[in-house]
Amino acid sequence: MFEQLRFLIEILPELLIGFPNNRPGGLLLTILLSAASLLVGTGLGAILGAAHHSRFRVIRFAASLWVQVIRGIPLLVQLVVVHTTLGAGRIPGIPFQTSALQSAFVTLVLYASAYQGDVIRAGISSVPQSQIDDARMLGATSFGLVRTLLWPTSFRVMRPALITQAITVFKDSSVVVVLGVADLTTNARIALGGDVGNAPFWVTTYLLVGALYFVVAWTAGRLVRRYEALDRNNFGTVALELPLESSSSTI
Amino acid sequence: MLDFLTPDLRESLLEGLAITIGLVIVTSLTSLALGFWAGIARSSDRRVRRKVAGIYIEIFRNVPALILVIFFAFAIPNIVPINPRRTIFFNNPVVDLLGDLTGVPIPYYLFAAALALTLNTGAHLAEIFRSGFNSVPVSRVDAARSLGASQIDALRAVVAPIGIRIAFPAVSNRLIHNLKNTSLASFVAVPELFQVIQGEITRTFQATSLLLLAAVMYLVLSTVMTAGLKLIERRLGRVHGETEPLRV
Repeated sequence: MFEQLRFLIEILPELLIGFPNNRPGGLLLTILLSAASLLVGTGLGAILGAAHHSRFRVIRFAASLWVQVIRGIPLLVQLVVVHTTLGAGRIPGIPFQTSALQSAFVTLVLYASAYQGDVIRAGISSVPQSQIDDARMLGATSFGLVRTLLWPTSFRVMRPALITQAITVFKDSSVVVVLGVADLTTNARIALGGDVGNAPFWVTTYLLVGALYFVVAWTAGRLVRRYEALDRNNFGTVALELPLESSSSTI
Repeated sequence: MLDFLTPDLRESLLEGLAITIGLVIVTSLTSLALGFWAGIARSSDRRVRRKVAGIYIEIFRNVPALILVIFFAFAIPNIVPINPRRTIFFNNPVVDLLGDLTGVPIPYYLFAAALALTLNTGAHLAEIFRSGFNSVPVSRVDAARSLGASQIDALRAVVAPIGIRIAFPAVSNRLIHNLKNTSLASFVAVPELFQVIQGEITRTFQATSLLLLAAVMYLVLSTVMTAGLKLIERRLGRVHGETEPLRV
């Protein structure tokens, strides 16, 4: 019991902020990595979501192909594919090689873009066509339409689903352990190492790792519910109905 | 383009594919059963039942599937001292039978991966089912009850059939996610599709072709499964009339 506690306290800094020579690492890196890739990925997702509603069939097709392909392949496979191509400089026309962390970032951006793009697509669809027609009739420009009608209406509707997907990306980022990028899961693995003497600590260490992921994901999940409750009480609008499961999940 | 596919390679890929498909079928069924009952318990009138289901759902939804897989496969056996460990986890008739059936060298790891995926997907499905049951309009439940249906009968004849139909698209989505999550079993030495691919890469050095092949195979698997689930969804039919939106 005492030994267990001592071991956990010993490795706690490594799990939280990383090994002294490799910081940021651990949970901090997991959060930074997923936050950064969500930021870029959601931006890319906004373009994808808009592209879904494009006038041109080619653009619509390309956007839905992007989403379907990325959503059809495990993140684990995507990570390894990106790192063995981009990470080894095997993509013609791209002269540089990415580090493991950069490959993980690129993959998570692609992954997040597909999921967030689908939420944004559904969010835009949730704005009634009649309102768009009304705004057009009142002389709204395309930019004005997006700024004053589409963006505010759809964002409030999309927000819970966007956060839910963000939490999914955060949890799924544990898979980057396959590239060994010093995130929480990787550092737990390194801390336990190949030492047979550490065998008794496996259970408690992974319980702690699970608890750390749980705290972040669960807290963020509560946030979604608060937003939803606020929205229902103050604005009379309803959260997006099943944004991720609608038409586009078939290929 | 596919000239790297020697007969040997093809055979081992098919074996990996078989394990992946088996894992998908088994974990889909077990997690559907678990998720359905946990979803019912979550919306039960009994406080204790509701709380227990709630704790299960919250824990297993918020911990990454990978952590669960590693925990059950690699960490759990370490609780037991080395001598009984062999017999409990790695060397007994039950485990041997599983090994004979699947051809997996360390059957306990396959079992652990299936258990972890079931608990994870089951928790997500429970929340989806709960939400589906809650979306059934109260008026319909009241109508059934006032016609003399018991609570169980109302659940069986009204809430479950309507709730399942409402929840079905979200359930499909989660099952597809589960299909992709089976690749996590490669972390714990289960020779499923991705583990086989990785093994072949170290043997043949055909990294790019093999990985693209893996990506395409998973894409085909999830496309086929999506289409199959859509077909079932259409068979089940639509829910007529007003329903509450699904909140997962």
